[in-house]
Amino acid sequence: MVDFSIILAGFGDVFTPINLLFVVFGVVLGQFVGAVPGIGPVMAMAIAIPFTFGLDPLPAIAFLVGVNKGGLVGGAVPAVLMNTPGTPDAAATAMDGFPLAQQGKPLKATKMALFSSVTGDTFSDIVLITVSAPLAILALKMGPVEIVALMVFAFSIISGLMGESLIKGVIAAALGLMFSFIGTDPEHFTPRLIFGYWDLFDGLALPSVAIGMLAISEILRRMSDSHNSAGQGFLPPDSGNPEDRRVSWAEYWSCRYTMVRGATIGTILGALPGIGSTAAAFMSYAMTKTASKDPDSFGKGNLHGIAATESANSAVVGANLIPLLTLGIPGSVTAALIISAFMIHGMQPGPLLFQNQGRLVYGLFGAMIMANFVNLWVGQAGLRLWVKVVSAPEAVIFSSALLLCFVGVSMATNGLFGVTVMLIFAVFGLLMHSFGYSMVIFIIAFFLGPQFEKSLSQAIALLNGNLLNIYTSPVAVALLVLSALSVFWFLSKRTNAVADTTNLGVPDGETLDQKNP
Amino acid sequence: MNMTTDRLTGAFFLLFGLAMFFFVIPEYVEDVDRGNLSPKTMPNVTSWVIAVCGSLLVLRPTTHQAPDARFFIQATIYVALLGVAIYAMTLVGFMYVAPVLALILMIMIGERRPLWLALGVVVIPAAIWVLVTQLLERALPG
Repeated sequence: MVDFSIILAGFGDVFTPINLLFVVFGVVLGQFVGAVPGIGPVMAMAIAIPFTFGLDPLPAIAFLVGVNKGGLVGGAVPAVLMNTPGTPDAAATAMDGFPLAQQGKPLKATKMALFSSVTGDTFSDIVLITVSAPLAILALKMGPVEIVALMVFAFSIISGLMGESLIKGVIAAALGLMFSFIGTDPEHFTPRLIFGYWDLFDGLALPSVAIGMLAISEILRRMSDSHNSAGQGFLPPDSGNPEDRRVSWAEYWSCRYTMVRGATIGTILGALPGIGSTAAAFMSYAMTKTASKDPDSFGKGNLHGIAATESANSAVVGANLIPLLTLGIPGSVTAALIISAFMIHGMQPGPLLFQNQGRLVYGLFGAMIMANFVNLWVGQAGLRLWVKVVSAPEAVIFSSALLLCFVGVSMATNGLFGVTVMLIFAVFGLLMHSFGYSMVIFIIAFFLGPQFEKSLSQAIALLNGNLLNIYTSPVAVALLVLSALSVFWFLSKRTNAVADTTNLGVPDGETLDQKNP
Repeated sequence: MNMTTDRLTGAFFLLFGLAMFFFVIPEYVEDVDRGNLSPKTMPNVTSWVIAVCGSLLVLRPTTHQAPDARFFIQATIYVALLGVAIYAMTLVGFMYVAPVLALILMIMIGERRPLWLALGVVVIPAAIWVLVTQLLERALPG
């Protein structure tokens, strides 16, 4: 499908100084914001996307990938040092990382998190590079009828897995679709629901909606929650023993099976839409603890606990791109942000991407591998610095992030109308969060809405105006049956067990206290 | 367990879905007779999904508890402040509004240390100005 020369050229593109520079810059920024409790890579990516407008596609995407990967590593730092995860993914890391830090081994804990994170991430990147092109060939055989059925399946999975209730998940998805209908309709190009605002003729701008809901609403929530939180956090002291500051090869090697298990879980869950890295981390932790000969030591500073969670949550990053690159369906909010960045830079995610822009795709793969090495290097050099970053005052962080959001959205939407829309969606996001509706489902549905409607229109034409003719496509029928089965399964699962110990309901980019307020 | 929150939001979405179907969509979406899919079809279907799910939520609420009133009052104040800031940016531009906004926000959050205040009020807006206007050669809001 893609010439070997194109693959080589794509990988070679990463080694230009400018691309390498942006990978390094992205990783440094990602680790920095990951280490700051309250920001995290999702918010950082949302804010950073508009600032990549002026860049070429590869450095821009490489930069964002760097932010994402670096953020996962950085997120473990406050989890280990302060028991305050910088990202929801790192919550499981805190269970063994924080006790280890309290024993005077904060650097050993953060280094173990770094090494296992890079190991899991590299594993999943290799899987992504290996399987995505063959999957794209399969995906190319799908027509509009199958795509509609696939999207229905994706909606049913995402609505069921994310958030605390299937009904609320469906409402969030329906709201996302409803807002995606604002603007011209894809078949007749007539304006819909624009209420006289011609700025809405092209629809609501994704940067306004995404940054409003993911970044501003989160900042508003934390500002409204925090009561004089300008002070510094408590940092555990170092024991002074050099052995407690490093991870020996023997210690790393003893965790090899744990990391392979975690990376495999993360890769499998990451490839499925709707299951975030938080779920992967908790599932890997639970399985490692069950398989351990000494389960009682978990939660008291066991290195295997850190290796299990960090290898799993980082492995999700690469695998998340499998449905995105092969089908054009974002499986998580991070993937939705990456997809919006793709589109800003003229890339249309989906199976044709490998045909039309193969060199760029393999450049992206190369950048992902490079970002892993850079993560390791920057992490080793920067951990002592990130330890200081965790105590930066929230007041400065939040006010700076708000100003950056204003500027970023203004640049992306060419004016303050987009900023006003951003604020409206920030309020909307805050309300959704407060009342237990998943913003992630909303954003994924909002993103997929126009494509869904367009594919549905084409499918109706192909089925001669009668949707009952869908039996002519066995793949579509199978996907619709799977959708129905998954809805029934989720409904019965919710009825039988509201609380899930693996925390499957906590999606990527949402905080744990939303699940357990 | 308090289930009132979900019942209230469920009732809201029931009314919202019905209002969209009966009033908003007929008024603000054009009717087209030709083609495969009318511009109204998907919004109408979605309205019904929202209304039906809203009513289901009234009947089968979860135990989700919303934050207290203090949280919403605080959030309203911050939103109002940001709204005023956006309006002010249309009048005088980002560079005059940003330091004032940053200062008010930091004081509201509880920051009192002069060096951190100076960083947020002077250094950050200046760094944004350099990044946007000098390096990216784009205009600041306003």
